[in-house]
Amino acid sequence: MNRRLPLVVLTSAALALSACSSGGGSDEPAATSTADNAGETVTLWLAGGDTPDELRTYLQDTFASETGATLKIEEQAWGDLVTKLTTALPDAANTPDVVELGNTQSPTFTNVGAFMDISDMYDELGGDKLLQSFVEAGSVDDTKYALPYYFGSRYMFYRKDIWKKAGVEVPTTLEEFNSAVATIAEDNPEDIKNFSGFFIGGQDWRNGISWIFANGGDLATKEDGQWVSTLSDPASLEGLTQLQTIQREASKAPADAKDQSPWLYINDSDTILDEEGKQTSKTSLAAATIMAPGWAHWSIGDLVKKDGKQVREWNDDTFGVFALPGTDGEPAPVFAGGSNIAISAKTQNPELSEELLRIVFSPEYQKMLGGAGLGPANSDYVDSLGDDEFAQALIDSASNSKLTPAAPGWAAVESSQVLEEFFGKIRDTDDLAGLAQQYDEKITPMLNG
Amino acid sequence: MPSRTLDHDPPGSASGPVPAPTRSAAPRRPGSGASRRLPYLLVLPTVLLLLAALGYPVGWQLVTSLRRFGLAQQFGAPPQWVGLDNYAALVSDPTLWGVVVRSVLFCVVTALVTVAVGGAVAVLMNALDRWTRLALQVALLLAWAMPIVAAMTVWIWIVDWRRGLLNWALVHLGVDSAAGHNWLAEPLSFFVVASVVVVWMSVPFVALSIYAGLTQVGQEVIEAAMLDGASGVQRLRYIYAPLVAPVLSIVMLLQLIWDLRVFTQIKLLQDAGSVANETNLLGTYVYQLGTGKGDFGTASAVSVLILLITVALSWYYVRSLMAQES
Repeated sequence: MNRRLPLVVLTSAALALSACSSGGGSDEPAATSTADNAGETVTLWLAGGDTPDELRTYLQDTFASETGATLKIEEQAWGDLVTKLTTALPDAANTPDVVELGNTQSPTFTNVGAFMDISDMYDELGGDKLLQSFVEAGSVDDTKYALPYYFGSRYMFYRKDIWKKAGVEVPTTLEEFNSAVATIAEDNPEDIKNFSGFFIGGQDWRNGISWIFANGGDLATKEDGQWVSTLSDPASLEGLTQLQTIQREASKAPADAKDQSPWLYINDSDTILDEEGKQTSKTSLAAATIMAPGWAHWSIGDLVKKDGKQVREWNDDTFGVFALPGTDGEPAPVFAGGSNIAISAKTQNPELSEELLRIVFSPEYQKMLGGAGLGPANSDYVDSLGDDEFAQALIDSASNSKLTPAAPGWAAVESSQVLEEFFGKIRDTDDLAGLAQQYDEKITPMLNG
Repeated sequence: MPSRTLDHDPPGSASGPVPAPTRSAAPRRPGSGASRRLPYLLVLPTVLLLLAALGYPVGWQLVTSLRRFGLAQQFGAPPQWVGLDNYAALVSDPTLWGVVVRSVLFCVVTALVTVAVGGAVAVLMNALDRWTRLALQVALLLAWAMPIVAAMTVWIWIVDWRRGLLNWALVHLGVDSAAGHNWLAEPLSFFVVASVVVVWMSVPFVALSIYAGLTQVGQEVIEAAMLDGASGVQRLRYIYAPLVAPVLSIVMLLQLIWDLRVFTQIKLLQDAGSVANETNLLGTYVYQLGTGKGDFGTASAVSVLILLITVALSWYYVRSLMAQES
């Protein structure tokens, strides 16, 4: 029993609420020369471990030599990033100066004035070369608050061996994909219990919306200045119907599974051995195809020992990748993952923070992002991703990718988990149109904040 | 029968002999202002600390629950007074009543099961020899001392639909349909799992408290009953039960209050599976409204409702304590 927690939650909530009363930024004198900045510290919040250490060191070293000030990098977990931003950003005494946040989380904060207006730097930092869908997510009308940091997107990882045994080819259209994965599940060439042709969790809406997007539908649109949920529009419904068929015929994932670690189902070397080291059951392989962000490839492959540790090593004979094809054969619009970066409105170091952004958007750093497998914000440096199959799939799938609606209430929709709920009910419903309409009615009032 | 009252210190706190108050070295004149003020001065730090730690957040909560307070207000927009609008909106919202009914049912069922199981373990401890009992007590304390997130991780592994111990065991016992069964998908089985986890975590406290109560029952009473030919069940029913009743009622009320505010277990299970909006209890509902949606006004109003329900539940506890004091 944890009997203190509720109190802690209440207390911290109340303290958070009180934080806003202590606002009122002060004007720091402009920082000009490096010597003046010697005692200054700028704090950068990075989300999760996506930015590799090498890049962090580069930022710190470059920042020190350019400005003379210290750059402090603090890593925040994705899970409670919104909570932390909500409580820290309004507090001038404790706010981080520069923050990374999820692209779809941006509108929530830009619309309440959490970030500094950086429209005047926009052209200098890359202007129209920057990934426009992300720029839009970070803008309110024409004012730029948050700019793209990096992009990633979701593509397909598949088992070449099983696709081959089932006699299906890598699809070139969405329709071919839908039928290929159903064939594999039905064929089940390895004769594995509960085998999925394509493993997609019922509540996994971030991957599921690809079918809505690919059929020309959308989650929400702005009509006469008001956001409206559009799950029951004919195009969205067409996509949802295809998804329902996949959930019923190709996927054996539970209706309440989300998008956590799907690679568990496509790897097979976690074989089950008996005492003599003989293989008892064939494998715990459970799916021929999954959809995941590009970095998932580090977790997919054969199990090998490296420096005494068991790691996954990609095996080209068994595994392959492709971008989900659209109805027209071009890559389907999938959910664009990635981050934006912004300066806190309450920062005490506006000039130094702007200096940090200049370093982030410099050609050197943009290329380093690409080298680390993160899609650079500036389209001039996309080649730095390299030309292996992962880079190719990333570029293909991102070429047509789409964001969730830039509605002020979007983060509220996500955190209310209403989309998980809706997608989780798709498989078992007999009245998909009615269900979609019911959830449109739930979501629309939340969208406008 | 010797009428022996149990002491009603909160279970677990030391209730040993209190040293007799020592006479003050320099006796003061009776009725002097200083000596009348002294007790208040001594209490003052505690009161201030309580006010700061409890009064302030509760005050904020009350104030915020009367305002429209969203993310924009958090970032400096002036909040708007809306009177009881937040409460009115909540009371007319069937979602809230669903959550309240679920929470109350969950807390009553879980508390009853906890006290029943805890009581049974206490009776068992009372019957065991010294070393077995010690082993049992250590095991109970270890379960109780386990950090909640660590314990939850293991529980989530146990009920995992694909590789969980539970499904594996069931399949090996011949229940083939258990393979791949997802226990968290349906709200009912979700709450059964949650309830089992909460019971597991609370039984040690209940068992040790009731056991402490049982040890207060005089050996001579039991011997007298045995001479009169009372069976084990009769002794439990007519001698132990009435004598530990005060402990039982306090433990029961504490469990009700704690189980009403349960948060961590539900939140972590929701993260592992299930449909959050169908499995919310009051704790997770407030979290979703406030921290999730940024609607601090409504979240505060729900928190105030929880406070009222808790006060209503603990009223009896406080009153019976007061009655025993006087």
